[in-house]
Amino acid sequence: MSHDVTLAEGIDHQVAMVMDLNQCIGCQTCTVGCKTTWTEGEGRDYMYWNDVETHPGEGYPRGWEGSGGGWKSDARQEREVGEIPDQEDYGRPWEFNYEEALFEDDGPLRPEGEDPEWGPNWDEDEGAGQFPNSYYFYVPRICNHCTHPSCVEACPRQAVYKREEDGIVLVDQDRCRGYRYCVEGCPYKKIYYNAVTKTSEKCLFCYPRIEGEGPDDEVHPPVCASECTTQLRLVGYLDDRQGPIYKLVEEYEVALPLHPEYRTDPNVYYIPPLAPDQHSPDGETVDVERIPREYLERLFGPDVNDALETLQREREKVNRGGSSELMDILDHTNPAKQYRLEVFNDE
Amino acid sequence: MTNQRRIAVAVAVVAGLALLSAALVPMEATSRPANQIPIEEVGDGTAYESPTAAEWEDVPAVPVPMTAAPSGLPNAADTSVDRATVRVVHDDERVYVRVAWDDATVDDEITDSRSFADGVALQFPTNASERPAIAMGSSRSTVNVWYWDAAEGTEELLAGGQGSTTPFEDPAVETSVEHDDGRWQVVFVRSLTADSPDRTSIEMDSDVDVAVAAWNGSNMERAGHKSTTEWYHLPFGPGPGGAPFESILWAVAGIAIVVVIAVTISAVRSRGG
Repeated sequence: MSHDVTLAEGIDHQVAMVMDLNQCIGCQTCTVGCKTTWTEGEGRDYMYWNDVETHPGEGYPRGWEGSGGGWKSDARQEREVGEIPDQEDYGRPWEFNYEEALFEDDGPLRPEGEDPEWGPNWDEDEGAGQFPNSYYFYVPRICNHCTHPSCVEACPRQAVYKREEDGIVLVDQDRCRGYRYCVEGCPYKKIYYNAVTKTSEKCLFCYPRIEGEGPDDEVHPPVCASECTTQLRLVGYLDDRQGPIYKLVEEYEVALPLHPEYRTDPNVYYIPPLAPDQHSPDGETVDVERIPREYLERLFGPDVNDALETLQREREKVNRGGSSELMDILDHTNPAKQYRLEVFNDE
Repeated sequence: MTNQRRIAVAVAVVAGLALLSAALVPMEATSRPANQIPIEEVGDGTAYESPTAAEWEDVPAVPVPMTAAPSGLPNAADTSVDRATVRVVHDDERVYVRVAWDDATVDDEITDSRSFADGVALQFPTNASERPAIAMGSSRSTVNVWYWDAAEGTEELLAGGQGSTTPFEDPAVETSVEHDDGRWQVVFVRSLTADSPDRTSIEMDSDVDVAVAAWNGSNMERAGHKSTTEWYHLPFGPGPGGAPFESILWAVAGIAIVVVIAVTISAVRSRGG
């Protein structure tokens, strides 16, 4: 079965990532890997190009889902006006009193200066629902390197652009004058303003790594993927028809973009979470979904229903002793297929 | 006095008034033609480097109305600076332009995601004999912009259309600034002549167009989200009286009025006679 893959105009191939939310344990190793690689110091303290947020929850920056941006209609003629998040909504990068707490036995470890009132992961693991039916799941987020990026359209200087060879969205640091129309134009709030360099910055999809430009001259997946403890990310090209991403997105249709209603067509996709059913007060399983379906529809659109059904069906097939290509892909039983970044190198 | 005579006298009075106004109106108008910012020549302009120098008080001040630039950017129509006051002097070597405008808040630090700086800019046609598109010129007719913002200081820019602004590595323009009592005063100083074809050279033989822009940082104004004037001109050209065609038009109008009156008088007389 062959499906059309829509690439952005003028783009040869499109990098893409699939994240299986059923495997995310919220350990933030991806976040730390990204942070230590790209965003240490020099105005980047507050930035997390990769973050892992608890849903339901406020996310990072706080309330980003209601901050505007994206397109008004499928014609993509007019953009939704967005807002630049307040610094407090990102959380100020406070320092801790390590010296006193660890070496001078002077009280507990606590932030220095004014008591912070918000920060990334402030509401981690809170979720929603009542015991014994509370629920939450983790959503790792990077730039979606969208097919129709509204950040690119928002920039009046064409400083934000989509790379021809692989569709990675980048900010030309020489052209950027720090106007921040991209920050307000991105509905996912995945572009960040650096008040020291006076330019905006964002996830690069670790392009030097996928180009093999590191010290070992080897191709590596983005650091958030390679550092992942449960290896929940698959990285490759959407238009690589032999690759797992194409199969998950286009064939099985179980990998979905976050908030498709923003109409930017993200190239980061999520396998939606399957949770155990609810329990009665005496601990019996009852036939009610723990994560309300309308909540998942709000995040992933109406296609989440078919996706969950397919995942459930294939999972049961394996449970009955059968085989499932879909489950094999998600289990990485063929690890060579998890990262397919060199398929177009000969072109 | 007969009726005809009364008519003749009335016509003569009207004709006299018309001639008088034809002669005086151009004189009044040429003292400040529309969109002109007068220039004062001074011996040594060094004192004018300071925006608070007392010498500036003797320089004619021109209030220039400003409106939101139609940039198409979000909230572009929401600007807060609606006028500036411009004064210009020059000596043998340099031109000094002081722009003053009201802004109660000093936005001179960009410390976080939502802070923007106050700023001001003067836009000149790179080629002083052209009149480029008011919104940053075009690729065929570029503009030279002298820019200052309260966080980053002075920049000199070249632009050939919106979104093409490119800074010069070494600005040829200098600024000095004062904010007092809710009002910014910024003096731009530059050599009259320029050493690069990308810079506006001010020669003493022709007028030079100029437009002004201002940004209020606390209103999140930046880029094309700004208040601007239309094109004004600095009368560096020869002699008073504005452009020559203007005098010609006034002369033609005056002669036409006289002819009409003369014809009317003679018609009235011949009927009465």
